[in-house]
Amino acid sequence: MTDALTAARTMVTGLVGEQAEGWDRGGVLPRELLTKLGSAGYLCPQVPAAHGGLDWDSARTGRFTAHVGSLCSSLRSVMTSHGMAAWTVDRLGADGQRAALLARLTGGDLAAVAFSEPQAGSDLSAITTRIVRDGDSVVVTGTKSWSTAAAYADLIVVFGVLDDGGAGAVVVPATAPGVRVERIGDPLGCRAAGHADVHLDDVRVPAEHLLGGGGQFMPLLITTALAYGRMSVAWGCVGILRACLTAAGTHARTREQFGKPLGGHQLVARHLADLLVAERNATRACEHASLCWDEGSPDQVLATVLAKHVSATEAARGAAIAVQVLASAGTRDGTAVARAFRDAKCMEIIEGSNEMCQLLLADHVLAGE
Amino acid sequence: MEAMDSKAVQHDVADSGQVEKDVLAFLEAQTKRSWDPQVDLFASGGLSSLFAMQIVVHLERTYRISIRGADLRLDNFRTVTGMVALVQRLQGAR
Repeated sequence: MTDALTAARTMVTGLVGEQAEGWDRGGVLPRELLTKLGSAGYLCPQVPAAHGGLDWDSARTGRFTAHVGSLCSSLRSVMTSHGMAAWTVDRLGADGQRAALLARLTGGDLAAVAFSEPQAGSDLSAITTRIVRDGDSVVVTGTKSWSTAAAYADLIVVFGVLDDGGAGAVVVPATAPGVRVERIGDPLGCRAAGHADVHLDDVRVPAEHLLGGGGQFMPLLITTALAYGRMSVAWGCVGILRACLTAAGTHARTREQFGKPLGGHQLVARHLADLLVAERNATRACEHASLCWDEGSPDQVLATVLAKHVSATEAARGAAIAVQVLASAGTRDGTAVARAFRDAKCMEIIEGSNEMCQLLLADHVLAGE
Repeated sequence: MEAMDSKAVQHDVADSGQVEKDVLAFLEAQTKRSWDPQVDLFASGGLSSLFAMQIVVHLERTYRISIRGADLRLDNFRTVTGMVALVQRLQGAR
């Protein structure tokens, strides 16, 4: 079983090679890379084997996600969005929908999730995208913003409000008439992750595309879908920290100033200790949350938010430290620590901003722990 | 964990009184207050969306059921009575 993880890591390491910097600067990932990883099942490793997936548990998926995150956060972000789409199909779909769609998502087709709207960011209860049932089809109208990986997606899982007031998630082919995917130019971080706004203008899709027939409880629908994304982001941040630790450690050992390696200067050495603490903290929080998932413990809900918050804040702090240690060598755009600095900042915003995570954690305390 | 679960899964379909007792105990342990089986748990001032997911995971593990798709609707979780009915229906369908 560990061999499967080693094989996955080796394949990704080989495919990414030294190209992450170029992808970041160019703002695009090669489609061939995504298709290759997607058909190997690596973009959504927790999909059950019965549906063509690798059937990995959360712990192994997490370790793999951290590895991808250490190489390229744009690629890891595509994994997060595609994985969330697969997770949503798996949780919400009827048997036939799961069989048909998960086969595609483990067969090379790419998917993205679309939650946010111009007026519904942290407050997703304000979603206004309409899903209207009309005979054998449903008609989707609305605007989604900042959908990660939507620029690459064949299928977009769109969250909206149904005509009867319930919530729903509908799978919209990116090529359906009325869909316009508008790539967001020059995002601050994860520049090659294919962020896009998705405009849906009376998009008609077969009613079978409405997962589970719709009508779910909006907060539960969103919390369920986001839970997977939060785990993925959290482990991805562990990867960011590991890349920073490697870069800062190497630099502090090899670069000499005042007649000795940088690491021999105490103020620099303290940065290295802080970075190690950040990486260990994030790893432990993620390992605990994954264990809760794999045991089916209700504690997973809180542990997931905690892991996401700890990892994102540690990554942002750790990446800033790494840039400081590398100094001028770390300020050239595209280098590992410069990417980490920008990517990690975005991780404090996506899948529940620091502040939203803090509110959720505080709610837990107020409810009596 | 096995010992704790066994009481709930000895029979194919758990006794509704037992399910109700268990769910109320879970709610009380998590929220430090007692609840009426009929009260709307998610009405204003009630429980959070995170808590809704905790309940889903708890019911899935305790009763070895899988709550998916259309069953993630509010009516199934609004009251403890609704959850008892959901558990019994899904256990019956296993």
